[in-house]
Amino acid sequence: MTASNSPADNTNQNSGKPAKSGKLEVADLITIGVFAALYFVMVCVATLVSTLFTGGFGSIFLPAIAALISGCVYMLLAARLGKFGGITVMGVVIGLFLFISGHFVLSFIASIVFPVVADLIAKAGKYKSKALLLVSYVVFSYGLTGPILPLWFMKDAYIASLQARGKDAAYIDGVFANINTGTFFVSMAAILVCAIIGGWFGQKMMKKHFIKAGIV
Amino acid sequence: MHSSSSTEPVASSSQTSLQPSVVATTPGAPICSAVVDGSASKQSNQRARASRTLDPRTKLFMLLVANLMLFFHVSVITQIIMVVLFLIPLAAAGRWKLTMNFALTYAVLTGLGLLDPEALGLPWIHVVSALAVGCTMMLPCFITGAYAFTTTSPSAFICAMRRMHAPESVVIPCVVVIRFFPTIAEDYRQIRNAMALRGIAAGGWELVRHPAQSLEYILIPLLMNATNVAQDLSVAALTKGLGREGTHTSRTEIRMRFVDWLMMIVVLIPLALDIAGVIR
Repeated sequence: MTASNSPADNTNQNSGKPAKSGKLEVADLITIGVFAALYFVMVCVATLVSTLFTGGFGSIFLPAIAALISGCVYMLLAARLGKFGGITVMGVVIGLFLFISGHFVLSFIASIVFPVVADLIAKAGKYKSKALLLVSYVVFSYGLTGPILPLWFMKDAYIASLQARGKDAAYIDGVFANINTGTFFVSMAAILVCAIIGGWFGQKMMKKHFIKAGIV
Repeated sequence: MHSSSSTEPVASSSQTSLQPSVVATTPGAPICSAVVDGSASKQSNQRARASRTLDPRTKLFMLLVANLMLFFHVSVITQIIMVVLFLIPLAAAGRWKLTMNFALTYAVLTGLGLLDPEALGLPWIHVVSALAVGCTMMLPCFITGAYAFTTTSPSAFICAMRRMHAPESVVIPCVVVIRFFPTIAEDYRQIRNAMALRGIAAGGWELVRHPAQSLEYILIPLLMNATNVAQDLSVAALTKGLGREGTHTSRTEIRMRFVDWLMMIVVLIPLALDIAGVIR
């Protein structure tokens, strides 16, 4: 049974063209896995860099930095696969690994919703339109906001702990005057800018290396 | 050009590393068919170690409970009880150093979180204090996460996912991700060697000085290899029947034991008491 399967999949793989059927085959899933692993490594690097830059608030710029450096991975995956579902599955796998490595459970939801949207956008351009791929990469990058959401929960916790110690509301407001929605918007805007730069860089690299080498 | 230097070992290592991961045999075939030389003792060793850790599903449950603690803003007392509870299985699995590290970190951070900036007359301590409270909130998640990550073998993880009826399109990428990490590390070393040989960014500092260049020089060969390895893995995995329909058997057996149920219940009690308002 497997013997009859594998030659067909191999030819798909070797030609590097999207398969005729829109369904994900085992070979596609393995490709997704390989790229997801690379993407996860990128996220780890981003965590490291972000922690070095921003000290204790560690992961606040994590999505932005991850978006900046992993454009190549995303663009190559989209070009290699060219099927609906690939980006979604990658997001889900990343979310699963983030959850198991102790991140917030909401990160899982974010890493399903955003990749699905990104996948749909990329599909609208048949995984070829450069502009739409860039947009879909920006959307995909927001899927990583999950790990930084606890920062806002954390704020509530500190307020609760201050209240428990009998501080009044005005005092608490004073403490949190600047650590507020401002940081949230800065972090979101940073993701947008970094994702555009990262996606553009990724597309440039694709043109420079992979199209020439005939991988895409 | 870098990629050509590192393709060969990667291809071979990826194939050997896939061998234990392919849990798919034909249904009805003997489960433990071939034990290769030398791995027999390793296997029994693994089994002994596995018996001291919990079922992967229990670990997932603990992760969920740790996340729920974030949602419900549990009180400090509950948090301390939970952290101790989470550290017990970690210690039981023989990760003494990790356990001690977590315990120390938690103790220090809790202490910092209880500081009163007003009484000390140093308002800036609020920053430290807020950070400490935030970190103590995150720590239960990290402890359970570290426990899940360090004590679960890939095959047990896959087996648990299949048992929980996760779709195959998620399981297969997960297998590949786990197996691919060592390959990436190996590739990275080779690429850095190749770069050093050509006098590009020999030291860590040089790497930081030209971020775009080092990103390109490291990532592109990695991606080149990744596409090749993906092909090799597909061939290897399909030969071993990963693409087969139907249920797959597994050499690693997981089952819920008494300890697992006990742990699940014990972990739930403090959380439930906290939500009900018994612990304040």
